[in-house]
Amino acid sequence: MSKKIPRHDFEPKIMAFVCKWCTYSGADLAGTSRMDYSPNVRMVRLPCSGRIDPQFLIKTFEQGVDGVIVSGCHPGDCHYNEGNYYARRRNLAFRQLLDFQGIDLGRLEFSWISAAEAIKWTKVIDAFTDRVRALGPHKQYHELIDPYDHYLEAA
Amino acid sequence: MIEAIRTQARNLLENKEVDVIIGYAEGSDSTRTTPVFIRKPEEVSRLIFDPRCINSLPLYLNKRHEYPQKGWKRTGIIAKGCDIRAITQLIAENQLTREEVYIIGVPCDGVVSHFSKWDGRLHDGNQATKCAECDVHTPTDCDFFPGERPEVDRSAPYKVSAPQVLNLMGLNTDKRFDYWRQEFDRCFKCYACREVCPHCSCNICITDRTQPNWVDQAAHTKGVFAWHITRAMHLVGRCTGCGECTRACPMDIQVDLFNQRLKDVVQESFGYKSGYSQDEKPPLITYKTDDSEDFIQ
Ligand code: SF4
Ligand code: SF4
Ligand code: SF4
Repeated sequence: MSKKIPRHDFEPKIMAFVCKWCTYSGADLAGTSRMDYSPNVRMVRLPCSGRIDPQFLIKTFEQGVDGVIVSGCHPGDCHYNEGNYYARRRNLAFRQLLDFQGIDLGRLEFSWISAAEAIKWTKVIDAFTDRVRALGPHKQYHELIDPYDHYLEAA
Repeated sequence: MIEAIRTQARNLLENKEVDVIIGYAEGSDSTRTTPVFIRKPEEVSRLIFDPRCINSLPLYLNKRHEYPQKGWKRTGIIAKGCDIRAITQLIAENQLTREEVYIIGVPCDGVVSHFSKWDGRLHDGNQATKCAECDVHTPTDCDFFPGERPEVDRSAPYKVSAPQVLNLMGLNTDKRFDYWRQEFDRCFKCYACREVCPHCSCNICITDRTQPNWVDQAAHTKGVFAWHITRAMHLVGRCTGCGECTRACPMDIQVDLFNQRLKDVVQESFGYKSGYSQDEKPPLITYKTDDSEDFIQ
């Protein structure tokens, strides 16, 4: 049963905001089917991708997260009919905003994952974790959080 | 021109068609003007209009300011073309109805970017950025206009953003981050940029709420970044580009660059221009099933 787990110098912290009807169930399926995927991800379940306020993402960056995923039902599958359409527009604008702010868009991911797409979930998470690992820690934002941090380090 | 406006203002006040005229008057020194609320017909001679009339008066029409006050039927307002776009956007957002406001449109060739830049005349060096790309020198929709109003075609897209926005877009991501970090280092969270904005409509702004505390109140780069991202996000597709936030900033931070950038995004992605239609829904409260999703996995 034991599988070799590769070791890395840096393990990114990844936050996933997911809708409870599709992506969460998809991830649940991945779990119950005992699929392997990167353990770096911490999930927050919300009723709908339309409920995922960009404010959440700002907060996660503030709290020292290296990458964020937002995921919900495919267009047309929303449990509330249209929540994910609003989410799509909002996130399009929000990404451009963060880009203009100077945050690497590689640290943000948006995906549609249905309750049956456990495999897609594991693939998206693994690929995203690798990408963020390659980008390294989100230093810029960490320094914002505590601009005096490096004085302590030097001491 | 100003005589025609004063006469009209006097008539309106005398006939009780409006309860107040919001306009501009001479300020504390010769480079400044100040907003005035004229309620008596004999005071209309205070009204002026020239390139120093920078303030975006539609700010006072936002419900947050509780004008028109109780018992006031109709508010008269002196508005440049860009101000009328702000009013149109306020109407689209249900902040007021068209009947509640009497718009006195003024032709405008541009205003100065800041009072301190006024040297007696308007030139390229002191003109506000928004005026360079303005397509409403002659106002769109108004109840009174001094003189003849020519027909203007306004179907063209907005011009692309100010050169500063394009310069920033040309940098790489890390350089942009450093730029903003330097800029925001000066921000001490006076919230002047919020207070002057005609479209910041909230009675209690999210940054003033402490339960839960979404935006850190400390004027610390962490809180400042969160504040500016939040503010820009709340104004997506609603900002009409009046430039007041940048003018009001005591630390000379060009906060409206964010809004200008997003203005372009909204126009390219959703085909929406804020301030041109009273009925069209702002882009983030509506959707199309075939919106672009090339960023989605
Ligand atoms: S964000 Fe700035 S430019 Fe836009 S409407 Fe508000 S004050 Fe004007
Ligand atoms: S920044 Fe946002 S929450 Fe604050 S007043 Fe403006 S729109 Fe409202
Ligand atoms: S007006 Fe300037 S200093 Fe004040 S909060 Fe806005 S950006 Fe910061």
